[in-house]
Amino acid sequence: MSRRLHLNVNILNAGVFGGSWRFPGTDGTASYTIEHYTSIAKKAEQAKLDAVFLADGPSLDPQIRHRTSNNLEPTTVLARIAAQTERIGLIGTLSSSYNDPVELARRLGDLDYVSGGRFGWNVVTTAGAVAARNFGRTSEPGHALRYRRAAEFTEQVVASWAARTALVSPQGRPVVVQAGGSSDGRRLASRVGEVIFSADQDIEHARAFRAEIREGAAAFGRRPEDVVVLPGLSTVVGGTEAEARARRELLDEILPGEYARNRLAGQLGISLDGLSDDEPIPPELLVAPDEAGGSQTFYRVVKTIIETERPTLGRLLKKLSGGGGHRIVVGTPEQIADDIELWFRTGAADGFNVMPDVLPSGFDDFADHVVPELRRRGLFRTDYEGTTLRDHLGLGLPDAGPYELRPLEPAL
Amino acid sequence: MSPVIQLALAVGEPAAPPAAGPARGPVPVPLTGAVAVAAAAREAGIAAIRLLDEVAAGHALDPTVVAAYLAGLHDGLGYIAEVPTTHNAPYNTARRVLSLDRATGGLAGVALRAGGGDEVSRATAPAPRAAGPAARWAEYAHVLTRLWESFPRAALIGDQQAGVVVDDALVRPIGHEGAFYRVAGPLDGPSSVQGRPVVVADLGDLDVLDVTAVARSADVVVVGRKRAAGADAALTEALRRAGRSRQEVALLGRVEIAGDDLGPGGAATAAALAGELRDWAGEHRLDGFELVPTGSADAVVTAVRALTPRLTDPADAPASPRPLTLRAALGLPEPAAVAA
Repeated sequence: MSRRLHLNVNILNAGVFGGSWRFPGTDGTASYTIEHYTSIAKKAEQAKLDAVFLADGPSLDPQIRHRTSNNLEPTTVLARIAAQTERIGLIGTLSSSYNDPVELARRLGDLDYVSGGRFGWNVVTTAGAVAARNFGRTSEPGHALRYRRAAEFTEQVVASWAARTALVSPQGRPVVVQAGGSSDGRRLASRVGEVIFSADQDIEHARAFRAEIREGAAAFGRRPEDVVVLPGLSTVVGGTEAEARARRELLDEILPGEYARNRLAGQLGISLDGLSDDEPIPPELLVAPDEAGGSQTFYRVVKTIIETERPTLGRLLKKLSGGGGHRIVVGTPEQIADDIELWFRTGAADGFNVMPDVLPSGFDDFADHVVPELRRRGLFRTDYEGTTLRDHLGLGLPDAGPYELRPLEPAL
Repeated sequence: MSPVIQLALAVGEPAAPPAAGPARGPVPVPLTGAVAVAAAAREAGIAAIRLLDEVAAGHALDPTVVAAYLAGLHDGLGYIAEVPTTHNAPYNTARRVLSLDRATGGLAGVALRAGGGDEVSRATAPAPRAAGPAARWAEYAHVLTRLWESFPRAALIGDQQAGVVVDDALVRPIGHEGAFYRVAGPLDGPSSVQGRPVVVADLGDLDVLDVTAVARSADVVVVGRKRAAGADAALTEALRRAGRSRQEVALLGRVEIAGDDLGPGGAATAAALAGELRDWAGEHRLDGFELVPTGSADAVVTAVRALTPRLTDPADAPASPRPLTLRAALGLPEPAAVAA
């Protein structure tokens, strides 16, 4: 069977840009209501997407003054969406550092059962001291320690699902989604990840990343096709190219400036004080990615941009636009479909975790115009062929019987 | 007012029938049956369904997941998720329950079960040798109530012109440092339209929790048959010592009901049982009942339909179809801000 394109929508509260919530015609606090999430999920189901995706972290974003943030807990949101939809997959982010594995295994397995086999667990280790302080710590555990725990934690949870004899979902057990781009994160992805949510600006790099993950999976005794790689893709859709560019420029204009600086400084763990917008960022400010404490994926992406493009601070802030370092495509539905097709056909992606610029309007445009264009090209499904998330992703049922714990390192 | 009625329900899969004798306590009803029960409960004017976390007679689904799912199908009814302290860090419980409360428009609560700790909090427990489920319960419930008020609704302004989402001066960390937990806060989402979710304390028939442990934070106290006598006086006194009044708490008596006895031809049985329960409530000054039916989903629906109208006073039938929040349905005032 030919490869099939996979599409999720990341309901990143008001949208991926820092100024999304201020976009004209947008209800600025809609992402604080449950209807925002259920209605986008219904739209995604009409468009036959694979899944909705909810990012999350157990803390209040210190930048809350300037931008909307996660504010509803994912399993309760997804259980409600499950009640109001029939097919759409439901992927939620839950921390391996700040949950008890016994409780999480039960809750997520039950959500999978209640939703009829539509749930996927995005395993994250949760960067940052802000979350750590809500759980008795004064600072986050070190990166390597977080990932070591994540590997053991994830396997314990999966083994517990595999051991279920009651309340087993039609897809056997939830899909494991993994997002880390660091070397620790890539190893975890190869070991247990079934969907990989990556961040890549460059098609060559993305192709190499996907190849590495697939080879890594094989080294752990898995089939490469049992891993689906979905880079994040921020979309700005316009009826014409000029309209799309104007929309992008407007998003830059309404980005709260103080927010963009603070966020970048926080994410890189450096001070930008005293640096004006028209000065280039000195590359020596940045340490090697594996030594960075927070999100290494984001750090890596930004470091590459700084080293290759030597942007001024102002230009870099505009380029990132308050997003998480994911690639931004701006254009007509045809242009965006061209981009998606190129990445898909040349092995850089199995599909995308789509992060619309503004929610819900940016997703409406994507669902109403880009998805039909992808269908015209024979790239995307016209209807669901199954009922579970594994069905949508083309992942078979997991092997019956107890889950065999994998070694921490691949076989050589 | 009429007695408050809360329904206890386990949703999931019954265990294979035991070789001898009927199962003790409630039997999990399947998810589809639970949907029918929720519809019947709403129609009958039940204030809330308490979703049980653990039952002897089978496997129960996670109550927060089931509550969110059922609320997505049947609104206008309260949902109380049972959550044990065991395996649950308080920040996570606070988030889940407040998310549920906001999604239901102020119709949610938590029945916090006394137990042990969780793996995450244990690693950094301030007083590693602190012990006692009752003391842990009291500290845990207090952390929940403070987190639920750490991000006041009024702080969410969404001023698109000025570029201000939240007036962050109004959002305060809680900085909790206790014997069992250390929690900075604040929570990530704004507070509920009912002030904060309802906290249910179940004193059961066991001696794990007592009125003193729960007096500071409980909104609903449930007692079993054996502990109903004297509960009102003891609760009143414990609340007074905690600086609260008896009007701020609903005291409910728990009753197991064999739903199968109330089916067709069971009208006399239902009337007799309702009379007995109303006398019991009057004698012990209970504000209402927690009904615990012990049969199939059909039997639960039968029990709800047969008993609820006979327990409530038709003269008290509310003019508006449903109270707006769970606190209103339980006859509780909105809480004043929790003292730091």
